[in-house]
Amino acid sequence: MNALSKEPISVGVLFSETGVTSVIENSERMGTILAAEEINAAGGIEGRELRLVFRDPESRPVCYQALAEKLILEDEVRIILGCYMSSTRKAVIPIVEKWHALLMYPTLYEGFEYSRNVIYTGAAPNQNSVQLAEFMLRTSGSRVFMVGSEYIYPYESNRIMSDLILERGGDKVAEHYLPLNASWDDYLIIAKKIKAFNPDFIFSTVVGDGTALLYRAYQKVGLDPARMPIASLTTCEAEIQQMGAEVAEGHITSAVYFQSVAGEVNARCVQKNKQRFGDGVVTNMCWEAAYFQTHLLANALRQVGTDNVRELLRVLPGSEFAAPQGLVRIDEDNHHTYLRPRIARVNTSGQFDILEEATSWVRPDPYLVDHTLQDWSSRVRLQAQ
Amino acid sequence: MTGKSASGTSRVLRDLRSLRVLLVHPDDQDGQELIAQLQRIGCQVKAFWPPAEKLPDEADLIFLAMRPEFLSMDLPWARRDDVPPIIAVVNYENPTTIEAVLRINAIAVVASPVKSFGLLTSVVLARHLAEARRSREHYVARLEERLAGLRKIAKAKTILMNTRGLSEEDAYKVIREQAMSKRVTTEEIADAVIKANEILGFETKTKAGPTSR
Repeated sequence: MNALSKEPISVGVLFSETGVTSVIENSERMGTILAAEEINAAGGIEGRELRLVFRDPESRPVCYQALAEKLILEDEVRIILGCYMSSTRKAVIPIVEKWHALLMYPTLYEGFEYSRNVIYTGAAPNQNSVQLAEFMLRTSGSRVFMVGSEYIYPYESNRIMSDLILERGGDKVAEHYLPLNASWDDYLIIAKKIKAFNPDFIFSTVVGDGTALLYRAYQKVGLDPARMPIASLTTCEAEIQQMGAEVAEGHITSAVYFQSVAGEVNARCVQKNKQRFGDGVVTNMCWEAAYFQTHLLANALRQVGTDNVRELLRVLPGSEFAAPQGLVRIDEDNHHTYLRPRIARVNTSGQFDILEEATSWVRPDPYLVDHTLQDWSSRVRLQAQ
Repeated sequence: MTGKSASGTSRVLRDLRSLRVLLVHPDDQDGQELIAQLQRIGCQVKAFWPPAEKLPDEADLIFLAMRPEFLSMDLPWARRDDVPPIIAVVNYENPTTIEAVLRINAIAVVASPVKSFGLLTSVVLARHLAEARRSREHYVARLEERLAGLRKIAKAKTILMNTRGLSEEDAYKVIREQAMSKRVTTEEIADAVIKANEILGFETKTKAGPTSR
């Protein structure tokens, strides 16, 4: 509509620059910035600049809610890119629904949600949990020790993991939750418990600053990743950088993207990210989702020529993009994204060696209650175990 | 017993003004919306948070926020037979949360963000279903009692028929006459017959035994 006016299109960005999850959310902010700069360098949205309006919600759900409403009412944005923890997404959803705005959420989460006003670009459990359970049961054994942060994502992830392990006749030897701000001593106690229980592997759904503490405590009590790895859905390059490669080496993560993914698109994006933010800056699954969702948004904006959310929702579902992980696509029915599951192990340089990956994208199924280990039939093994 | 009369408004609706509602919910936008709407309806509302192992007050209806950080908390009062109906307030819809809703035996659910519209219907429906559930439980308990009584009478009749050589009809007559003259129920007489027979039967057996100690 306003194609001729050169007014910028403002988009709100809600990633925490401070607080417990600021490391990973900073990474999501970088992915968003990189994409926006690419978009603007290529002429913006039909000549209009894509202008990002940043706010720092401090890793606190109440701040997300207040800032989302401020962005919509005072900065007059119709679209918000943001949120990491489920509690923060849940705080923003009533606001975007109330004002009929759009939230694009670039983080893996526990599923069981759909909002007309949200596009989910991170993995649903059928795109990472099933694969991880299957891999760990096959390569490590079936006695698992579960440790997580105290919020809904770990509870629900552990429910799924428990079901999958029990299906295989395995055994959950313990299940522990720590507050998001738990101390080094708390993690040391957990690490000692792990040592005492001597499981086949550890399933960690610890997020934020606690991740580094858990892996360090594990190392401190003298456990060996080759014999008893920590398996995670959330520990990515950003957390590894925070804890140090020597602490993370040998542990396993299931994700739809790693910096080490092969391919020309990823190589180019990683290179650009280094140029923009510094040689030492790494990419990760959340960075990637933040990056490609911004491009998906820009394509949709170009297509409809307005930031009217009703118009955008006509074209965003069903749209595709050649992302660093490969081709991705937003599902028309559930607003989640077709993504490509991968399993990888941390190497000496703090990067991931990809051990296995799906041959094609996996359709998101956020309302799947009963996962089965057979789901990932299209797996391909890259490296012998 | 729903209080529904042939004409006039249901009792569950008329009783709303005297309804004591306990709100176990954080003091946030949903909590405030719940209090305000329940007060508009005219209920007497008391709110507290976090959930405690003991209910702080008497109540006719409880709203309980299903917050993730308290899902695994044990609430002994939720398992009590005489617990008031519980309406769960949910902000997640995953199996972990739904299982917690089943565990507290909730009778209705209100979704977050809470809207004023629909709350009245939920309150009335929850009360109606809870009363229906309670009266059905009483009815089942009464039936079980009666069934046990009938079994006792049948057993007592058999004892009388075997020991006194009575017909079934005469055996029942004996029980009933005894009940009438002693002003107790036939079940109580049957019980006495069974107990007497247990004691006498035991004595007879030991006396008639080939070896006495």
